[in-house]
Amino acid sequence: MKKYISLMALLVGFNAFSQEAEESDFYKIITIPTPETMLLEVGGITTLPDGRVALATRRGDVWMVEDPYMRNSNLPSFTLFASGLHEPLGLTFKENALLTAQRGELTKLQDTNGDGRADVYETIYAWPVSGHYHEYSYGPKIAPDGSMFVSGNVAFGDQEWWRGESRVPWRGWIMRISPEGDMEPWATGMRSPAGLGMINGELFYADNQGDWIGSGGIWQIKKGSFAGHPAGLRWADREESPMTVSAKEFFSKVHEEREQVDGRYLKPENNADEKNPEMLYHAKEAVPEITLPAVWLPHGILGISNSEILEIGEDASFGPFKDQLLIGDQGQSKIMRVSLEKVNGDYQGVAFDFIKDFQSGVLRMSWGHDGSLFVGETNRGWGSAGSTTSGLERVVWTGETPFEMQTVKAMPDGFEIRFTQAVDKASAEDLDSYAGQSFIYKYHSVYGSPPINTEKLGIKGVKVAEDGMSVRLVVDNLRQYYVHEINLPGIKSANGSSVLHGTGYYTLNNIPAGAKLNMTEVSTKRSSASKKVAPKKVAAKPAAPKTSANAVLTTEEIKPILAKNTCLACHQVDKRQVGPAYKDIAARRYTAKQIVDLIRNPKAENWPGYSTEMPPMPQVSDEDAMKIANWIISLQEERP
Amino acid sequence: MMKRLTFSLTLWLAAYAGWAQEGYKTLPLNDLSSFKAQAGNWMIVGDVTMDRNLSIHHEAPPVETGKKKKKSKAAPEPEHPVKYTSGQGILLNFNDDQKKDNLVTNWIHGDIELELEVMIPKGSNSGIYLQGNYEVQLLDSWGVKNPGFGDIGGIYRNWENEPAKAYAGKAPRTNAAKAPGLWQTIKISFQAPRFNAAGEKVENARFVFVELNGVRIHDNLEVPRLTGGPINDKEVAEGPLMIQGDHGPVAFRNIRYRLLKPANVSLSGINYEVFDGHFESEKDFKDLKPTSIGSTEQLTWEVAKKDNEFAVKYYGALEIPAEDTYKFSANTGNAMKLVIDGQTISNYYERGGKPVKLSKGTHAIEITYFKYVSWVSPNMGLWVESSNSYPQALHAFSSFPPASNVASPIIVETGNSPRLLRAFLDYNRDRSQRLTHTIAVGDPAGLNYIYDMKSGSVVCLWRGGFIDATPMWHERGDGSFRPIGVVEYLTSKPTLVLAGQSSASLELNNIPDFRSSGYTLDGNGLPTFLYTYRGASVKDKSKLVEEGKVLQREISVENAPAGSQVRIAEGSQIRKLDNGAYAIDGFDYYVELKSAQEATIADKGATKELLVPTTGSVVYQIVW
Repeated sequence: MKKYISLMALLVGFNAFSQEAEESDFYKIITIPTPETMLLEVGGITTLPDGRVALATRRGDVWMVEDPYMRNSNLPSFTLFASGLHEPLGLTFKENALLTAQRGELTKLQDTNGDGRADVYETIYAWPVSGHYHEYSYGPKIAPDGSMFVSGNVAFGDQEWWRGESRVPWRGWIMRISPEGDMEPWATGMRSPAGLGMINGELFYADNQGDWIGSGGIWQIKKGSFAGHPAGLRWADREESPMTVSAKEFFSKVHEEREQVDGRYLKPENNADEKNPEMLYHAKEAVPEITLPAVWLPHGILGISNSEILEIGEDASFGPFKDQLLIGDQGQSKIMRVSLEKVNGDYQGVAFDFIKDFQSGVLRMSWGHDGSLFVGETNRGWGSAGSTTSGLERVVWTGETPFEMQTVKAMPDGFEIRFTQAVDKASAEDLDSYAGQSFIYKYHSVYGSPPINTEKLGIKGVKVAEDGMSVRLVVDNLRQYYVHEINLPGIKSANGSSVLHGTGYYTLNNIPAGAKLNMTEVSTKRSSASKKVAPKKVAAKPAAPKTSANAVLTTEEIKPILAKNTCLACHQVDKRQVGPAYKDIAARRYTAKQIVDLIRNPKAENWPGYSTEMPPMPQVSDEDAMKIANWIISLQEERP
Repeated sequence: MMKRLTFSLTLWLAAYAGWAQEGYKTLPLNDLSSFKAQAGNWMIVGDVTMDRNLSIHHEAPPVETGKKKKKSKAAPEPEHPVKYTSGQGILLNFNDDQKKDNLVTNWIHGDIELELEVMIPKGSNSGIYLQGNYEVQLLDSWGVKNPGFGDIGGIYRNWENEPAKAYAGKAPRTNAAKAPGLWQTIKISFQAPRFNAAGEKVENARFVFVELNGVRIHDNLEVPRLTGGPINDKEVAEGPLMIQGDHGPVAFRNIRYRLLKPANVSLSGINYEVFDGHFESEKDFKDLKPTSIGSTEQLTWEVAKKDNEFAVKYYGALEIPAEDTYKFSANTGNAMKLVIDGQTISNYYERGGKPVKLSKGTHAIEITYFKYVSWVSPNMGLWVESSNSYPQALHAFSSFPPASNVASPIIVETGNSPRLLRAFLDYNRDRSQRLTHTIAVGDPAGLNYIYDMKSGSVVCLWRGGFIDATPMWHERGDGSFRPIGVVEYLTSKPTLVLAGQSSASLELNNIPDFRSSGYTLDGNGLPTFLYTYRGASVKDKSKLVEEGKVLQREISVENAPAGSQVRIAEGSQIRKLDNGAYAIDGFDYYVELKSAQEATIADKGATKELLVPTTGSVVYQIVW
């Protein structure tokens, strides 16, 4: 029996038998029981003043859920409030009415006779759509002055199926609509703006990786902001437009990479050896209207299809992260956490993983009246992690405080990391407890971007606060505009826990001015240095299995390599997720070289049944790529 | 997020299920010479009208109009619903107690494709007998909720009681009937029973398909026995077409048909050579030795024993039963080359090739199949048809099985109360005329319509099911839906015509200053649509009347400039009938104005419009 247990421990990892904490020790995910035939593909969710939760589904229904908290130990009851809407992707309650963005209009739903069903479906404002599938519309979010913000996806080209285009006015825009139904085009540069957030009266939005969008991220949007996707600039010359840059001016400064051969446009491909790739911050020098993301959410790590942005707010009933932001992700079925600060007048900040393992893609979130978080899910058409295609779940804080980086702030000479619990000073003063790198994304018409210009952080010293609640890290190679990955592999809390999510991604749009630490006040200790000879031996490859580059790894052996290269964000071994299963790739019987080439420059057209394109991944090392390729080939089944 | 990539492999099957237009004959209706002699109840006429409100079971005799201008001085007796004028082009049955023969062609048929238009007055009954033996029922079935074998389009039962002889008939899948007096279209594809040399039946007669008013009502339906009232006492290989003449008046026009025979081509003695590798042309492997060779009884790609990166050359003997022009069609994953008697019929990416004349006897056939694109199916199909046959497969079933990975359809029903659903609508099923702000209103009473909230118009109506939402709700979808059933597209133009406004330049989905205010639902769940347009404000509500068979629309306009009108119909023809109704597009549907205004027919060149002033509410009905 004992033998069996230790074998199990090896197989499943150590969590079950060690003191290591798990997310569910702090945040419980509760699946809301739903009638069997009801398909809750949640496009919008909002909590009503009486505590009920209203859901808009992608099939056009609006459901009222009574007692979703199950306080009375009853199952929640579902009542149909409205139906027949055109793929609504947002829901908000205001003045005894529900507001929702359908594909082609902002609609107000009212129950005027009090029978619990909407009898007025009022068009507040209808906008044009061309009828392209991708022209989804999202919102509304309501500003303090009562105006409503909605956003619209771009369409894609016919021959140029990879190219986002704005076929009719205000696609790829955010619109501001007054309660009286007057529309003001507000800002453009959006590609797939599924996530809107009204944070302390300021508008934010999240976009998804694709053409011109190197990775997902969160942008603050002011009137006239330009977030980066140029399709919407087509309407910049219109009288109503607040934009100061036209499409023509823009493309005179930024290369469109739109070339024709024999009358057919060529799909732009990533050039891994590009000498001077364009980057968003650099383009901003020529096009000052460009708004940089306050926070990049590195693609494949912090999501692949970012969705709703929601503020935790003042309420402490959700744990120690007051005033921070949550951001959902559809493809990875998880929620990330973002802490913003303002430096030189602009928002920037850090993003962390927070809660994963939802049953399906996270599209929408709303706070319940008990401080718990309702999560509306759907993955239809895109695929996601998790076991279902849709549903409604709820996250409840257990009251236990996880050991986390509460926040990371930029300092003139590095970062200050604040913790939720006091650190073990010995671990915190050891520079080997810290690691990290910085990188950035290209700004081009290619689908997505690999992280580029990657450089290890030069961590030179650390100063641990008296109370152990924070540390200041001195980094000698800070790079403005770059994403700085900060890793805490060796940090322990005073009671011996590791950091629950030990990696943060700080977007350093501005380096604050101010006093730098004097190197005399910081610890520069490295535990590895004190062990002098020994560690080298440890670090040297164990003599055991000498694996040649062509040796085929087992699935267990390859998994860390797949995880490191973010492959598992989209692929599973034998089940379709966002991308095809490795077994299905194996069935194509590619050669190892073909697979390596496809990692570098994927061919979305080879996989017509899958809709989310794979970004080029030249950052995967030759060695890793070859190991992955050989492993994939090993999954081939013999033809019967 | 990326666009779905669609690689359209032109599915040859689509053509098979559709309607080939070649080889059709029009049955002349300038006289009755195509038919056997009959008692005189069948005649050739020039124009027919059938008043939808008058039943044939009233006593009055039919009236021939136009001959002598008979000013009716008070007609107390009920009028006969059917009126006609002399002329040509329409076949009309007028039976009475003495004259009531069936009409029988003086030619016979086996396999046949037949299409025609039929007009049936209220309460009448007839039938089309294939080979004189198998009846497709014709009946005034307008508005019947649960159609049976005895309703229009049903395959009629026989009257045998003995279980071994009885045939119970088969109801149409849906009631696709239109109102009395309208032209309805029927398309029938029929395969005759097959007999062996001893005269024993070896295969049942079969309706390959039947369509009524564009709606499939039967597919691949065998008829194991004679139906009621056949011309023969047994099943035969060939027989005449017969139309029932003893049950009531009925009219036909535009009768077209194509007689078919099995092609009976055979492919045998197939030897093959398989080449392993990535080949995009014959040159790529012409110097290579085959990886394997062998012979096979059936044509199939499976001899390659892999599903990608191979080429196979097949050599066989094609047995042609009679000299004729033959057409080959291929559907393959990648590319196929077809050579007959050394002559290239179809090269690589062509899906088939030009028709080729082949003599009776054995011909050498050489088929080269390439497969090198990993993600497409390796399936390979090859069909042949003669000048008068259905296509015949030359490949093994497993080389080109029916697609099994198609999406399960997502069907929306109305249920017990009205159901509304918004989506894009491809007007006239035309993607280039996609309407973007349309809403379907389904009424369980039977008739559904789609309202365009960007133009304030009822763009189509239909009966049958409600909505197929698969195009919108399967995977990402494309935001559009399809009405299920018989659909009548009415207009994509705005209803309100303000005085002094030109409608010539209006674009779909883009009418400047048109602003929807949405809709409200009444206690029954029926919508009233609201909009404003250049100062005018409009309320627009429709409901069903006449037991759900007729749509009545009421439009109230306020603050419109004097002289403004609503457009209640448009068509290539608008004809005012004696009963006050308007027949649109040659009796495609009727419009009946119920409010007191005077309608005018405006001539806009190729189209005519029926316009009504906006003084007071405009109430009209669409009967169809």
